[in-house]
Amino acid sequence: MTWLVGVACSFAAMGAGALVVVEGGLFNATASTPHLRVVAIAAHTAFIRSVEVRARNIEAPTQFTGAEVTAGFRDYDASCVACHGAPGVSNAAWAHAMTPPPPYLEDAARRWRPRELYWIVGQGAKMTAMPAWAEVRSDGEVWNLVAFLEALPYLGEADYARMRAAARTASTPSPEPRAAIGKSGPPPASSP
Amino acid sequence: MTPDQGCLRFSQKLGTLIALAIVCAAPLSACVRRPAEPRWAKFGGDPSQGAILVGRFSCGACHQIVGVQGADGKVGPPLSTFADRTMIAGVLPNTPENLVRWLRHPQTVVPGNAMPDVGLSDVQARDIAAYLYRDR
Repeated sequence: MTWLVGVACSFAAMGAGALVVVEGGLFNATASTPHLRVVAIAAHTAFIRSVEVRARNIEAPTQFTGAEVTAGFRDYDASCVACHGAPGVSNAAWAHAMTPPPPYLEDAARRWRPRELYWIVGQGAKMTAMPAWAEVRSDGEVWNLVAFLEALPYLGEADYARMRAAARTASTPSPEPRAAIGKSGPPPASSP
Repeated sequence: MTPDQGCLRFSQKLGTLIALAIVCAAPLSACVRRPAEPRWAKFGGDPSQGAILVGRFSCGACHQIVGVQGADGKVGPPLSTFADRTMIAGVLPNTPENLVRWLRHPQTVVPGNAMPDVGLSDVQARDIAAYLYRDR
């Protein structure tokens, strides 16, 4: 029975240790300092596995239309570029002041399955600045963003600039018109 | 068993042989291929700070970099053993000054390439260059 007491004491000691770390302010929660390497690996792996497991039963479209890609581009340019940048386009300066920082997404469609991109975009990521876009977008709009992400590996800097120019002259508004962030010129025309 | 004169003499001989072997082998370390001094030592730059910046600026989203967690992007070329490269982006000779220039203004060096001008300061670019040039 002494082994049971030993196990119980070990758990109690671990709990006490955790309490000291949390309550004692020992965990450095600033974004200005990096995670401990082991914490970073654990958090990153947990995120990947969380997405893979929860996206498993989602049925993704086998292909996307040009209209869906364009609609996804407009939303991306309005809502995502500030954090995630674009081909040849930097994200905003404050996006570099985050831990973890939002990544550039040119390779996203190669790292993740479409249903997993749908899950990440729709459900977001805890303790990062990635919103759960499904709460402010329709299901179709989330899939449009996925459609754009699937097209992104094939878009260069000139392609993206051309799409921006085309969007500026178009009259259809993006879901939330706001100033485009990045190296290009005037913001896209917003309509009431 | 008590050591007698014969055993001591043998262990002394063995010790001498080992010491001689170490002394003779020591100069062989100079044969290991390694630059005379780290490249970053010439122009300044903190490689440990560079490692943090490489994470912050999400370089691994587009490049494979050994030692940076999650750095397995294939948008640009792999950056491991960067000091061994002859050219940067196929247009600039690989020198510390050129690397700093490339890191700060890639759109000026190769207009229209996918790597953005992220607004690196000179110090930040030197730190990242120092990290890329680290001995590995």
